[in-house]
Amino acid sequence: MDLTEIIWCKHCNTVNYLDPYTFWNWKGKVKCAGCDRVYYVHLIQGFYYEGPKEMPPGEPYDIMPLYADKPLEGYESFKPGTPGKTRPYFCLPREKYLGKADMVKFSVRGRPVRGWAPQPPSSGIAGSQGFKWDIEKLSPDVWKEYQVKVKRGEVREW
Amino acid sequence: MRERVKPEIKFEEIPGPEELELEKMPFEEYCRKIFDPKKTFEKPEALKGIRWLSCTMYIFTPHSVSNLAELGAEVFKVEMPRAGDPMRHTSPFNEAYLYPLHDTRPLTGTGFGFMHANQNEYHISLDYHRPEAREIMYNLVRMSDGLTECYRPGTFHRWGIGYKHLIEINPRFIYVWGGGFGYGPKVFGGSYDILGQAQGGLASITGFHEYFGGHPVKHTNWVIDWYSGTFITCGVLAALYWRRKTGLGTMIEFSQVHCATRACGYGVPLYGRFGIVRQRWGNWDTQLCVHGIIKTGKSDYPDDPNPQLREEARYVMVSAFQDEDFRELCYVIGRPDLWEKYKTHKERLKPEAQMEIYGVLEQWASDKNRSEVVEILTNAGLLAMPVMNDKEVYECQHYRERGTIRWIEDPIFGDVLVHGGFSVGLLSETPRRVRWVWRPVGADNVRVYHELLGYPISKIKEWYDKGII
Amino acid sequence: MAKEEVEIKDPKDVMKLRPWPVTPPATREEAIKIYQKRGPEAVDFVVWLEDILGYEKRFTKPEALTGVRVLDVGIWRLSNAFCSSLLAELGAEVIKIEPPTGDPLRYLTPFGREEYMLRDNVKGELCGLEFINEMRNKYSVTLNLEHPEGRELFKKLIPQVDIVIENYPPGYFDQLGIGYRQLSKINPRLIYCWIGILGQWGPMKDRVSKFGQWMLEPFGQAACSFIHNTGYPQDFLPRGSGGDPTRSGAWIADYVAGEQAAVNILAALWYREEVSGKGQFIEVTAAEALMDILDFDISWYAFNRSIKGRTGSWDPNLNQYAWNPCRDGYMMIGGQTDRLWYRIGMCISRDFPQFERLISEDPLLKEMAARNALEALIKTYTLTTMWLRNITRNEAEDKLMEYEIAAGPVMYLDEVAEYYHFKYRKFVDVIEDEYYGPILHCAPPLAYQHRTPARVKWMGRPLGIDNEHIYSKYLGIGPTQLRELKEKGII
Repeated sequence: MDLTEIIWCKHCNTVNYLDPYTFWNWKGKVKCAGCDRVYYVHLIQGFYYEGPKEMPPGEPYDIMPLYADKPLEGYESFKPGTPGKTRPYFCLPREKYLGKADMVKFSVRGRPVRGWAPQPPSSGIAGSQGFKWDIEKLSPDVWKEYQVKVKRGEVREW
Repeated sequence: MRERVKPEIKFEEIPGPEELELEKMPFEEYCRKIFDPKKTFEKPEALKGIRWLSCTMYIFTPHSVSNLAELGAEVFKVEMPRAGDPMRHTSPFNEAYLYPLHDTRPLTGTGFGFMHANQNEYHISLDYHRPEAREIMYNLVRMSDGLTECYRPGTFHRWGIGYKHLIEINPRFIYVWGGGFGYGPKVFGGSYDILGQAQGGLASITGFHEYFGGHPVKHTNWVIDWYSGTFITCGVLAALYWRRKTGLGTMIEFSQVHCATRACGYGVPLYGRFGIVRQRWGNWDTQLCVHGIIKTGKSDYPDDPNPQLREEARYVMVSAFQDEDFRELCYVIGRPDLWEKYKTHKERLKPEAQMEIYGVLEQWASDKNRSEVVEILTNAGLLAMPVMNDKEVYECQHYRERGTIRWIEDPIFGDVLVHGGFSVGLLSETPRRVRWVWRPVGADNVRVYHELLGYPISKIKEWYDKGII
Repeated sequence: MAKEEVEIKDPKDVMKLRPWPVTPPATREEAIKIYQKRGPEAVDFVVWLEDILGYEKRFTKPEALTGVRVLDVGIWRLSNAFCSSLLAELGAEVIKIEPPTGDPLRYLTPFGREEYMLRDNVKGELCGLEFINEMRNKYSVTLNLEHPEGRELFKKLIPQVDIVIENYPPGYFDQLGIGYRQLSKINPRLIYCWIGILGQWGPMKDRVSKFGQWMLEPFGQAACSFIHNTGYPQDFLPRGSGGDPTRSGAWIADYVAGEQAAVNILAALWYREEVSGKGQFIEVTAAEALMDILDFDISWYAFNRSIKGRTGSWDPNLNQYAWNPCRDGYMMIGGQTDRLWYRIGMCISRDFPQFERLISEDPLLKEMAARNALEALIKTYTLTTMWLRNITRNEAEDKLMEYEIAAGPVMYLDEVAEYYHFKYRKFVDVIEDEYYGPILHCAPPLAYQHRTPARVKWMGRPLGIDNEHIYSKYLGIGPTQLRELKEKGII
């Protein structure tokens, strides 16, 4: 079974992932993320009707992959939206995409919320907890920051 | 001597000033008064006196029990020690967590995927695999009205805490099993919400039609989990009602994939009688025209950094299926010929007609932004509404006034916004409420094992060290 | 089964009553052979389960809500119909009060095709399948509430019922003198439930168009951000082909509102019986009911200003948790935990060895939480689809089930009706209705109970067929008086 629906470019050993819905029925030229080679593909119901056929250098391309990585080099990855390598992903929830836990200390209305780690230990016997986040004792720096925010009027109803 | 004329109206029956006010005030004001979100915590709770055990995971079965907790039942959520419910480890794009999950794992939080499924519940931990757990469970069962579990069929039975065993200890006990499939050849199959959407048939009717290049699409939320969970709650409440008369508990076995088929509307009878298989119809409706979502030319926030606002805030829901409404719509968009062509609803409903009409609508809207389209249509007296996104829902005055969206000060986690629980049913006498979103794993071990079941603290410490709780 | 020759000249030639099931379901013995793969204890347990819960036994057991009486006065929407269906399937007596011309939902049919409607055998009137599907165990009675005498009759029914469900535009019934304020004076024990789209009060409450058109689903889906968050990203499919915010194929917010209304009604009933002896006013809206179950979407905005976007058939919270195209359709594979993740790898690698290599060597994919990152989802599902494109749904399901992975094909409704497990357990069942003949329907999911299973007793009801029965039983109105009322336009 040959490696289709990804294009494993043998020149730079980059695996270009052609995401399943975009490329399920698709025809055109894809640029490799790792180098500048362009491959022509024609996919019908996910199968290669034609290609991947390497195009002569300098050929204009239609699309870049959304994601690519290099298995032989420790899986160095090209995240979506890397200029010149991968195409951007627009349907993100925010302009800034993290992909890991966002250490949030204050909610959007400015009050403290326990969205950051690590938290100092706060449980009693057998993991039991009460009904109070003793923020002054457990996280005094956040409490101080909160007081400053209150004074500056940054804490709102909504 | 004249007889004293006895008054025909009793004093107690004369309405007092407040009651007269309530009767006379305009309806909207009346509703605002009796459903006042600020008075939620002053009123009693409907399910006072019910205690339930939630031996559940993920969303499906936990939600069926959290409905009871919102209505006032006392619920104990039983989780595996230290690790907790696997749903705690889900979070959108790995970004949103609340800490702590448990003190032994300071860098692991509980993801937002856990939200709204375990509200108002007391969390205890128990490892069912250990032999000591059985007796603890029996003690809990003797003190409770019911239990909901979602383990593979036969697992609880093997551990000695299945329906057969528990109904003997507590004949009033209501035992609920929720899972993917229920008895039958695939009884041991695991299930998720997305499997329910896929196998129940709901995915086959959602999404754009193949003809337009569409594929079946998943509902954004774990709809089959949540919706099936509430379905179980109906069954539980009915069983509680029946138990009042007879004093008998019962067992309910529930399959979530089944619920997905239940939501498919006319699809099943259509196949059964005529052999026609219902297909996807995108953003339009198969039974009403005009009644669909159209794309306008520009978003309402063309310069906003957030791509959801900049690119996507440009869809409008339009509804004008009655003849007069459709006629008005045609005149508003400057196409009276469409009205001449499709004078009856039956004509408009044909697939070719729908394609033409919506095509014309989108063309008309292609040089306007979303607010303009909504304004023009609303001013003409038609029903139209923007397709709202999370930010707009957050800022919507309607939901704020009604208390649907509320900031609560969670006792452990701080300032959290909830958008469920309170307004999923406004009850004038016994409103639903949310006190906290969830608690860390084992947060109420002492409260339940020591204060309720009477085990000494030393025993609890021993169990904790051995990993039993 | 006898073969039949059909010459197809017109679509209507194939529109015939389908035999169901096409192939017989598994027998008890065949099912037991499957249970045996898990050991003798498993067999005992499941056999015992079938004995106490069996669908076939449902009519031999009592009903949970016997004695509860409900009036369903709602029209147009499915939410009130679904709510009263739930109560009716559980044993309540539900009387659906329709205007003399009938609930408008009766006349809706897909694409306006009358050939998809059923004709009853008494009056010969056509009725749409959407209406019939939700008209379970309910009596159909006509009453003209626009007429003052009609309202008087309605008020006379109130002392005898427990629950009223209505969904007219806000304040309409109150204006007519039959709102909660007025009815609770007649019967303080009355539980009155209004189920709408956006609300009876508030800046964005339910409204009708200038010409009196009602607001129906999917307005509820649009108002709570469900539609915005559903659909394929424009990065995967062009707009107009699915890369748009997409509504649910079903009127899902109506279903959710209906069932939450049933929950609230039953809770209010419990409270009345246990504590207060009084009823209350309940309001449920489709937008808020769906928002309640919209996972955490708005809470996420309030956390760090993230506005959830569309993710197609994938889920941003778990990996693997999606369906992807396969050879003959779409296949869903689920498995978030490490154990299942590696099992999926093992299963797929039997046919496609590179899968395991590319997945398990990648440091990005080692930790469970890290696998939810967008790039991890793209890589995982691209590789999975490479395996899926070569395999049919049945084959994939068998292979994945061997490794105990939760997997299922995306099935169309005819496949759902014929799926081996659903046939055995009777997800869908045929009822021989006295007025409409055999109707295939989805069995009540609450039908699998030890003591009080839900059941469907009849489906569909010709308009007003129970007038004589109900009016005589509750108001002592005989046929002659009924005829007079009909002539006056009250019934």
